[in-house]
Order: sequence, then C-alpha cells, then structure tokens
Amino acid sequence: MGTDIKGTRAALDIIDKYKCIIDHFSSDTYVKNLKSMQETGGFFLTLSELKNRSDTIIIFQSSDDVLPRLFEKYIFPKDTINNLKRRKVVFIGSKVPQFLYKNKKLINVEIIKLDSINLLNFISSIRKSINSKDSEAKDKKIFNLIELLKKTKYGSILWSISELQGDVSDLIVNEINLLIQDLNKFTRFSGLSLSGSDHILTVNEVLLWQTGFPIRTSFANGFPIHDIEQFSTKKLLDNKEVDLAIWINSFNEKKIIINKKIKNVLIGIPNHPQKNDVDIFIPVGTPGLDHNSHLLRVDKVVTMPLKKVRNISLQSVEQVLNKVKKGIVNSDN
Amino acid sequence: MITKLQNARIYDPINRINGKIKDLYIKNGHIIDKPKHGERISRTINLKNKIIMAGGIDIHSHIAGGKVNLARLLLPEEHRKYLYSSSEKLRSGSGLGTCSSFHIGYKYAKLGYSAVFEPAVLPSNARSAIIEMSDIPFIDKGTYTVLSNDDFLLKLIQKKTNQKKINDYVAWILHSTKGLGIKIVNPGGINAFKFNQRALDLDEKNKKYGITPRSILKVLTKSLIDLKAPHPIHVHGCNLGVPGNVNTTIKQISAVEGKPMHLTHIQYHSYDNKGDKKFSSGANLLAENINKNKNITCDVGQIMFGQTVTASADTMSQYRNHHFAHPKKWICADIECDAGCGIVPFEYRDKNFVNALQWAIGLELFLLIKDPWRIYLTTDHPNGAAFTAYPRLIKLLMDKSYRDNEFEKINKEAQKSSVLKNLKREYSLYDIAILTRAGPAKVLGLNNIGHLGLGAKANITVYNDKKDKEEMFEKPFMVIKDGEIIVKNGNIQKVFNGKFYTAETDYDKGIEKEIKSYFEKYMGRRMENFKIQNQELWDYGIETENIKCDRNDY
Repeated sequence: MGTDIKGTRAALDIIDKYKCIIDHFSSDTYVKNLKSMQETGGFFLTLSELKNRSDTIIIFQSSDDVLPRLFEKYIFPKDTINNLKRRKVVFIGSKVPQFLYKNKKLINVEIIKLDSINLLNFISSIRKSINSKDSEAKDKKIFNLIELLKKTKYGSILWSISELQGDVSDLIVNEINLLIQDLNKFTRFSGLSLSGSDHILTVNEVLLWQTGFPIRTSFANGFPIHDIEQFSTKKLLDNKEVDLAIWINSFNEKKIIINKKIKNVLIGIPNHPQKNDVDIFIPVGTPGLDHNSHLLRVDKVVTMPLKKVRNISLQSVEQVLNKVKKGIVNSDN
Repeated sequence: MITKLQNARIYDPINRINGKIKDLYIKNGHIIDKPKHGERISRTINLKNKIIMAGGIDIHSHIAGGKVNLARLLLPEEHRKYLYSSSEKLRSGSGLGTCSSFHIGYKYAKLGYSAVFEPAVLPSNARSAIIEMSDIPFIDKGTYTVLSNDDFLLKLIQKKTNQKKINDYVAWILHSTKGLGIKIVNPGGINAFKFNQRALDLDEKNKKYGITPRSILKVLTKSLIDLKAPHPIHVHGCNLGVPGNVNTTIKQISAVEGKPMHLTHIQYHSYDNKGDKKFSSGANLLAENINKNKNITCDVGQIMFGQTVTASADTMSQYRNHHFAHPKKWICADIECDAGCGIVPFEYRDKNFVNALQWAIGLELFLLIKDPWRIYLTTDHPNGAAFTAYPRLIKLLMDKSYRDNEFEKINKEAQKSSVLKNLKREYSLYDIAILTRAGPAKVLGLNNIGHLGLGAKANITVYNDKKDKEEMFEKPFMVIKDGEIIVKNGNIQKVFNGKFYTAETDYDKGIEKEIKSYFEKYMGRRMENFKIQNQELWDYGIETENIKCDRNDY
C-alpha cells in the first residue's frame, strides 16, 4: 500500500467490501513505533517546533538518508522565531550523518558513538539517574548529557527506528518515549520519529480515521480486526494464509515478495522491475508527479498538497481502483 | 417532487411553534409553504401521534483531525469493544468516543442530528481534518480554527499591532483554513507551556511575549465582531479542570466588556475550591453571572459515567491531567507554532467524589442557567462522554424523578456538595428543541437550519412520542436530511454527504506579504501550500456552503 490519501480511500473501499487484509510493504519497522504508541503514548512535536523552539536536539541513530532535507531545513536553519543562537546537537548512535561531519566546525555538535544494544543501556541509565535522587551517573558521558538535559529549555529527541538493530529497536523506542515523559517533569522535551518510508504515514492515517485501526488490519470477518503480529504480509505469505496478494506502490521500484503459489497483482510505476513476474500488472502514475495529490508530512500533522508536473497519461491509483470497483460491481450484477 | 408530512406535533422555537399539529411541505430539499395551485403532492406521510423537530445541531463535538486520530491510535482496546460490520450500503468501523469516520455520520444520523461542528482545528492541520471529514456522511459540517497560541498572532499583540491588521490576519486564517469560526483555547497558555510555564491565569504574563490571556481574549473577541463573523468567539478558557477556576471564568466574562462570547464546555470551568476536599461546585456562581450577562452563550460539556478519552488542543491542561489517565497512557504534542494537543483516556466513575460532582455540576448549570437560548447541549464529545449519550442526558433534564434516582447512586459526599436535588426544573420538548436546534443555529449565524420555516433545509427528525425520553430520543422514527429519508426506525436508508460550512471573509491582501515571509523564514513551507484551495475540497466531493460575514446583531 504505497499511495496517497485518495488512493488509500479507494483501496479501503474495496478492502472493506471484499474482506481483505491491509498492510504496508514498509511496515516491518514502523509497526514497532505503532506498538510503542499503543503501549505508552508519547510526547511529540512537529517540524516547525523542531526548527524554531529547540535549544537542544538529541538525535538517536538517524542518518540523513532518511529525510535528506530535514537536517538542512529544520536542524540547522538560518532563522528561528526564538532567535536560537547556540543550539546544541547531540548525536548518539553508530552511523554518524555526513551532514554533521561536514558542519562540525560551524555548529555545536557532540557525537557519542554507540551501537543499538549500548544505546538501550545508555538511555536506561539516563532515565535511572533522572528518576532517582540518589543515583548520580558515574559514566562521564551520561553525567554530562544529564547536565545538558537539565539546562535545556526546550529539547527535541529524534530517532529512526529503521536504523536501530531489529531485535532491540522496539525496546529502544519505548525507552525514548518514557525518557521524554520523564524529562517533561522538570523541563520541556518532545520527540519526533523519523520513520515512515514510502508514505506509510499517509496510508496509516486514512486507515485510522476510516476504520479506527492502523495498518495490519483484517476485514475478513466483515469488521476490522487489528493485529500487528498476525497480519504481517510476510507471515501471511509464508503461512499461505492468503490466495491473492495485491501490491500497490505508486512511488518507487521497491522489491515485492512474490509467492508463485498464489496470484499476484502489482499496481505500480511503469518501470517496476518485477512487472513481468506478476499475474497482473497495472501501471500507475506517481502522486505529485503525474496527478494532483495529498500526502502527509513526517510529523503527521501537515498534509501537503502536491500538483502534477507532467502529463504522460498515467492513471492514479484512485482512478484504477475505482474502475476495478466498477468492474466488480458490473460482474456481480 | 413535493412531500407532505401531515398530522405531526411540531416543536420549532425559531418560528415559535410549540407542539402545534401542522403540516409540512418539502420540495427540492427545502421547506416550502403550501404547494401552489396545480402543484402535485407526490408523497404524503401520515405522522399522527409523532413529534417533529428540525435536525439536531451539535455546536461542539470533536469528530476529526489529528488529535482524534491520535486517540484512535492510542486506544485499540477501546475500538475492539465496539466493532461495526459492513453491509451492502454501509462501511465497517469501530470505536465509540473516537468512532471511525463513517460511523460518526451513521450514529449522528440515527440520533436525528444533521449538522455538527468540529471545534478545534489547528491551522496547520486544517487540510487533514477537512479531508477526513469528507468521510463522515450525512451531516453538514464546519470547523472552528484555533488561534490564541500561534506565535504569529502573539507577536502581533506583543507589538501592540492595530486591531485592523489583526482583523486582517484573523480573516486570512478563516479564509485559508476554510473555518466557520475562531476558537480560543487556553489563550497564550499552550504557547507558555512550550516555555515550561505550567499554569497561566487570565492576568498572568506569557514568559516569551509578556502578554496576558486577557489581552488575547479581548483582541480576538473584537476581531470577530469587527469582521461580522457568523459565530462570535468560541472560548475554551484558562485553567480548565482546576479547582477554583470558576473565578477565572467569571473574570473572563467581565474581560469582554459586554461583547458577544461563546463559552464552551463550561462544566470544566465551573469548579470552586471550598470544603475539605478543596473541590466544590461553582455552578451557581457562574450561572448567576451568565444569567446577568446577556452577551454570553455557552455549551455545557456534560460528563456521563464510563470510559472515554479526552482530546484537546490544550496541551498545558492535558499534561497537567495525564496522571489521571485510565488506562495509564497518554499522548501530548507541540504543534507547528500553532498550539498543541493532548490525549488522555479517562474513566468517569459515579462513586468517585470528583467525577460525581463534575456530573452534578454539569446538570446544575443546565438547570440554573435560565435562558435556554443561551445554553446548548454538549458532552464536548468525546471528552465528557460520546455524543451517543445525548438521549440519556435529555432524560436527565426532562425527568426530575429519573434525575433524583440517578443522583442517589453517586458518591455520597458529592451528593452533600450539590444542590441538584433541590432543583425542580424540568425541560420541556420546546426547551430541548431550543438547546439542540434553534439555539445553536442562532449563535452560529446559520439561518437555514435549526428550524422548519419557509426556506429552511428539510432536515427533519420525527420522534415517537414516548414517556421515556431516553427511548424517544435515541431512536427517532424517521430522519430526513435535505428532503431525503435517511433513517427509518433506526435503519439507514441511503447514504450521501452533507455540506461544509465556511465563513466568507474579506481582508486586506497586504497582510499576505508579512505572512508569506513568516512562512518562508520560519515554517519551512510556502504560504501558498498552507492555504486550502476550493479545488482541493471539490476534488474530495466536498460541497461548501459559504456564510457571508454580515452578522448585524453584535
């Protein structure tokens, strides 16, 4: 399900009526964020808050590949409403974003190199020190960071779950969300998850408002049943629990899982490399390139209007699915 | 095609019809006078022993937008309790307090409501909220855009900018976000919380801008009057939920110096701090004040017992209340230099002193505020309860013996602290028609709904006349929207979308120069991308109904 708001609405109309299961092809890591939200909630912020208000930004393992313009536009902006002159950026993780190295002399950056396992311990230690009056951190890095957190007036914490080690990423995200809650007891902090590739956020938001549940929801019983574990695409295909897989990706050439024992449909961009490997391939245009569109920004608050920039007669996902629906209705009659 | 509804008893307060048996005629989705000579009546519906009111109007109900979707995400367990199957005509869905979009429409239609207003749309989230609302069928909709915490406005006020320029900004916001009204939420407080202020009283200064909530309230109240906006300023005041806040609410009333102001969910702003528990009812104090000040309208935000979720733009208050979360999880967010939001799930328990008194305070307000034209029925859905609780609330207002019985069940200490049992007033059907139709229409400046006179939209709810008012109001016999029968005996007949109300404002285009530069410099996006274009709405099949800013009774 890689499509825009209208494409998701059209898909859900069919999914609901014909009792399908919905997932997104980039959901494996994102669902861990979802699960953490469902379990602990959180304290979040949007991009302009990050840009204009944060005097301290803590980045937990996120590289600039995820959102290439984020660093330039929102973390090191020229102007801010609050005239932030001495913004402190702390990067904690294993793969340091190139942008930080390039600008190391110009900005107030500190880098703490840690792999995911140590990162988890590191955050837990910070939380322990913050929450206990008697426990002062012995590790100098932790001690210094806590001093910085205490001095911070408004801090942001960013993370990218897809870059964390898979087996502990959910624990790390939970700890981050709890850390932000702890910090708000005495100062102001908010978080921003930088995940959400292939516009999973857009699909997820529409699904939430139309059905009440996020991705990995089945309509097989006539009403929505949400289960992050049970309705993973990979699991459903591996266990042969479905007899038809419909892949929608109007953005890129990302590889899909083709299980030859079932029927496969791909609604994708014209040059998708697997277009000849599926039973049915329907070419579609890209939102904001071939047709006007609406997509959600990474903070999920702002929906961006996109205007089409070329005209090569490619249909949108919505147009294709509306025709499919019409076809099914006609054949039913 | 003309439809005649005959023999029903009609309650239509705007046209001063109080239970008179009268025929109604519908043509092209509107109420007409008797058919002209030679015009054929295609369908006659005999509604003997039935009661007719105009379609209900909910002036304040959180039905869409980022906060509602966050609440859905936070509470899958709540959604699993309420699952709705799809059928040939209807989509599947889930949830109660944060019900999925299609079922919000179905449920409102089944209750006989035909217009609902989403009261807290942040400017940056307006496009998302409106697109989401296009998936709520039947009801006409509109939004109030939240100002009062955005850095742009606070800076204008800090710089003592002239009122004319502020009016241009307010009009520009209304136009760009397709709002019908402007909502104040904890003026300056949400912004102050971003600077780690944990409370902000009416005359306390915001640390960053050095301005007070009072100054924001005054400026925005005047703005809407100057603009002749359809709906006066819609105010969620300072100190929501704080014991003793009734004094702040009363000060807010005097702060607007007789100018029209709508105070929303006043139940949450009517707390005194007397007694051992430092929590008591301020309903009498506030009601007296509202009775005296004819410029004030209000809705109650009644709580009803049970599990719900509170969702608000008031991050400061929601963060303060997160300790009460049930289940123990919550979400807050600082949003786009506009405001914020907070989601705190909540269970109101009848044996809990505070919750029981909150319930009693809401009812006291309903019964102590004398003029039904200035108080409207809401639960601040879903904050006090889901809107599906309205029929029970109506019964509490109409039936003293039922009310007394329910009162006996609540926490004993709360009973001692409340005057509810001494209040003999029972609302009549005519009063209920004012509270749920005529009054909201009037304060929203919408002339074609909320009544059944000539030219009104044929939004009509037909009730069985039952002694048990909860039963009567929870399952109307028939609901007509834009002249079409949409519900009969609780069953949906056909599905279509209602219209979207916006305020048609005018402003000096010069204001855009400053806003454009603000967006490019600070917001990281272009102003043109912020402004919602009509074409975008039409692309989602949204039909707008533009209400001119020409209100002349301010």
